[in-house]
Amino acid sequence: MTKKTDKGSTIVILLIIIYLLIPLVVSIIYSMFSNWTGIVPQGFTLKTYATLFQDHEFLASLGRTILIAIVPIVLTIILVLLALFVTVIYFPKLEKYVQIICMIPYTIQGVILSVSILSLYVANPTFLSNRIIMLIGAYCIIILPYIYQGIRNGMRAVNMPVLLEAAEMLGASRIYAFFRVIVPNILSAIVVSSLLAVGIIFGDYVLVRNLASSAWPNVQIYLYQAMKSDSMKSSAVFVVIMAVTFLIAAIVLYLQSREKKGKKH
Amino acid sequence: MKSKKYIYLIGVLPFLVVAFMYEIIPLIKIVINSFHPDAGGAFTFENYETVFTKLLYQKAIVNSIKISMISAIAGIIVAFFGARAAHQAKGKLHSIFMAILNMVSNFAGIPLAFAYMILLGNAGVMTQLGRELGIQALADFNLYSTNGVSLIYVYFQIPLSTLLLIPAFEGVRKEWQEASTLLGATKGQFWTRIGIPVLMPSIMGTFSVLFANALAAYATVYAIMMNSISLLPIQIAGCFVGEVKIRTGLGGALSVVMMVIMVIMILITNAISRQFQKGGKQS
Repeated sequence: MTKKTDKGSTIVILLIIIYLLIPLVVSIIYSMFSNWTGIVPQGFTLKTYATLFQDHEFLASLGRTILIAIVPIVLTIILVLLALFVTVIYFPKLEKYVQIICMIPYTIQGVILSVSILSLYVANPTFLSNRIIMLIGAYCIIILPYIYQGIRNGMRAVNMPVLLEAAEMLGASRIYAFFRVIVPNILSAIVVSSLLAVGIIFGDYVLVRNLASSAWPNVQIYLYQAMKSDSMKSSAVFVVIMAVTFLIAAIVLYLQSREKKGKKH
Repeated sequence: MKSKKYIYLIGVLPFLVVAFMYEIIPLIKIVINSFHPDAGGAFTFENYETVFTKLLYQKAIVNSIKISMISAIAGIIVAFFGARAAHQAKGKLHSIFMAILNMVSNFAGIPLAFAYMILLGNAGVMTQLGRELGIQALADFNLYSTNGVSLIYVYFQIPLSTLLLIPAFEGVRKEWQEASTLLGATKGQFWTRIGIPVLMPSIMGTFSVLFANALAAYATVYAIMMNSISLLPIQIAGCFVGEVKIRTGLGGALSVVMMVIMVIMILITNAISRQFQKGGKQS
C-alpha cells in the first residue's frame, strides 16, 4: 500500500474544506473593506474594529458572556464530581440514573428547556423568578452532558476504584483520596469539558433570549441587534465571536491530542 | 457500616436538586401544561386539537420534519464521502481536515446566519457576483425562504456528521475490500453490498443526531426569517416570549409534539440499525 492520499480523497477533502471556509472567509474580508458592491472589495480599513473596541456596549456584552459562563461551569463540575464519586464508589447501581439525567438535555436542547424553565418560574414570588438565576440554572443543564462525559471518561481512564483502594491501604480516607488523588488525575478531562462548555455558552442565543434577553444582553444578542442596523459593524462582531470560538476549539483539540499522545507512550 | 454508607448519598443531593429544579420538574410541568387550557382549568385535549387542526401549526410540523429530513440526508451523504476520504487520507491533509471540521462544527446560530446573509442575502457578495456575471441562479437566490434556510442547515450538519462518521470507517477493514476485489467485485459493488451495510448502524445513529439537531435549531432560522416561517421551535418560543399573554397550554402541546417526533425518529433509526446488526450476526 502506498503512503499517499489517493487523488479522489484529496479532491473530496479539498472541496469540503472550500465549501466550509467560504462563508467564513467572505465575512472576514467583508469586515475589512468599506465597500464591496462589485466583484472586488474596495477601501481597506480596520476602522470598524477600532470603533468596535471602544464601544462600551460591546465590551460589556463580551464581559457578560464570560461572567455568565463561570458560575454554571464551576457549579456543574462540583455537582457532577460529587454525584459520580458517591455513585461510582458506593452505589454503582444508581450510576445509570445519573447518566440518564445527564444525557436528557442532549436531546431536548435549548428551545424546550428555556420555555419550560420560563413557564415554571416566571410567576414565582421568590428569587427563583430572577432572570439571571433562571439563566444560570438553564446553563447548568445544557452543559451537563459535556461535563458528565468528560468527567466520566476521565474516571474510567484512571481506573478510579483501584486508585482509591491503593490510597486507602496507605491510610488515606476515601474522600481525601478522591480530592487529592483522583481529581488532580482527571484535571485535564475537566479542563477539556469546561472549555467545551464555555464554547456552548459563548455560542448561546436561544437560552439567553428566551430567559433573560434585555436583562443580560450577551455578545450573541449584541450581534443580532447590530445585524439589523450596520453590516460592517456586525461583520467585525462576527469576526471577534468566531475568533474566540475557534480559539477555544483549538485549545480543546490541542489538549485532547496531547492526552492521546501521553497515553500511547 | 451499612448505615454509614448511606450518609454519602448526601453527595448526590446537590446534583439531584439542580437537575430536578431545572430539568425534570420543568419538563414534567410542560407536559402537564399541555393538557390544560392556557388560562388554567380542567384536563383537556383542546391544545392538541389546536395543534393538529390549525393550518399554522400543521405547517410548522410539516416544515420542521421536511427541513430536518432534507438537511440530515444531505449531511449524511456529504459526510459519507468526506469521512471515507478522511479515513483514507494521511499526513498533513488529514490533520488540517480534522482541525477545520472541529473548528467549523462550532459555527452555528446567529454568526452562521449572518455569514450567509453576507454571502447570499439580497445584497450579498455572491448574489452580486451572480448579477455581474449573469448567473441567474445566484442572482435570484432567495435566502429568506424555506430553501434558503435548508441550505444553511445543510452547512451546519456537514462538519458534525463527518466528525461522527469518521470513527465508523475503522470498522470497514481493508482486507474485506481486497478480498471482494479478488472475487471480482467492483468498488461500487463493495460499498453497496458490504461497506454501507457494515456502516449502517453508525449512519443511522448519526442521522438521528442530525435530525434532532436540525429539529431543535432556533437561532439560525430566527435570525434569517424572524417569525415569518412556521417551524416548531419558532412557534414554541412564540407562545412564551414576546406575546402579551403567555400561552403555556399551546406551547406545551407544541413542545410535546416536537419531543415525540424526536423520539419516533430515534426509534425508527434504532430499528433500522438493529436490522443490519442482526444480518451481520447471522452470516
